[in-house]
Amino acid sequence: MTPFLALHAIEKRYNSHLALQLEEICFESRKIYSLVGSNGCGKSTLLQIVALLLNPTFGEMVFQGEKVVWKKKNLLRLRQDITLVHQSPYLFSRSVRHNIAYGLKMRGTNSKDQHRLIHDALEMVGLEGFGRRNARELSGGEQQRVAIARALVLRPRLLLLDEPTSNMDRASIEAFDKLLPLLVEQGMTIIQATHSPDQPERLNSTIIRMEDGRLA
Amino acid sequence: MDFIFDSLKTAFLLILSWDPEVYKTVWTSLYVSLIAIVFSTVAGVPAGMAIGLGQFPGRRAVITLLNTLMALPTVVIGLVVYGFFSRSGPMGQFGLLFTPAAMVVGQIILATPIIANYTLGALSASDSRIMPTALTLGASTSRGALLLMQEIRFGVMAAIIAGFGRIIAEVGVAMMLGGNIRGYTRTMTTAIALETSKGEFAFGLALGIFLLSVALLINMFLNFLQQR
Repeated sequence: MTPFLALHAIEKRYNSHLALQLEEICFESRKIYSLVGSNGCGKSTLLQIVALLLNPTFGEMVFQGEKVVWKKKNLLRLRQDITLVHQSPYLFSRSVRHNIAYGLKMRGTNSKDQHRLIHDALEMVGLEGFGRRNARELSGGEQQRVAIARALVLRPRLLLLDEPTSNMDRASIEAFDKLLPLLVEQGMTIIQATHSPDQPERLNSTIIRMEDGRLA
Repeated sequence: MDFIFDSLKTAFLLILSWDPEVYKTVWTSLYVSLIAIVFSTVAGVPAGMAIGLGQFPGRRAVITLLNTLMALPTVVIGLVVYGFFSRSGPMGQFGLLFTPAAMVVGQIILATPIIANYTLGALSASDSRIMPTALTLGASTSRGALLLMQEIRFGVMAAIIAGFGRIIAEVGVAMMLGGNIRGYTRTMTTAIALETSKGEFAFGLALGIFLLSVALLINMFLNFLQQR
């Protein structure tokens, strides 16, 4: 069976520095994967390659049975199914609603559907009624949740999360832990990088350990 | 001091009595510079964005050239454009020399590198996460660049205002390409130089007050932007 996502002999170098070297790694659909490892072990680099934001120096990536060709047009098409939430997400200097609507606008969603989808996404992350608030004036945890809502509203097939709970309080983390399995039930595949020692097991996720840019 | 006070009084009287000569000169300055700044913005902002976002051979040389162009003396621009527009020059048949159009061309050459450079500066200082965020949300590179421009809009506005401040206050281009023709190409700066040399200090002072007011308005607007 063709895996949902496969990386073959992927390497990422910055000049002479080797940031990532993976022989083979496959991901099945509708599962949660947790990348764990110390800072600088290559988790974020891997997420950025999978998000099609960073070209690998060598290697091949196959997403949903299609070999990724690193050309602008092709990447733009494939990115419609993959969304990454960065570790410290950048929120546009406008309202929460404007932030969440951005990806929908890029997909040509009409304003009526936008309104409904934004409402649902805010509800999912526990930020009902925050639509008109200035995104930059929210707390760190709230901003993180807006960034997650901004990704969820696009219903990506593959959701990538880089340290998603790093700014969240206890209650928000608990709500987030309940949300991820629901997203998987809806058909999403999730790959998250995390430093949390117990969250990967709590989520019943497949743990991928990394060390010095390699699988441990 | 009486000379200064008397001249100031006369200057204010000229302003308050709506002296047509003063207002025609102010109007010429404003419309020439406003037309020039529109064209410079259309050329300078995308140029700054392209240099900032692009990865191409010779990029560093282009930035160095841009910095050099920012320091171009206005009389040198006037001289070069004069060469092109003069009767025996390559564009002499268009009869543009000593017209507001020639002044606009000179001011575009003066303001475009300033706007491009300031836009480039705003871009370099912008958050490096903006573009990847736009791309991961499904934007194309060009839509991402548009978003980036929106996010640095205050820097871009400051670039445009800096360009406008430079051209409204310049003398060399207006003098050499406009010829300081009364009621046609006479601007605030060329009129100040001429009238003062003729001993019409109060008239020059009245125009100086307008020029200062424009500079004050520009600074107030810049401050307003910085506080946002």
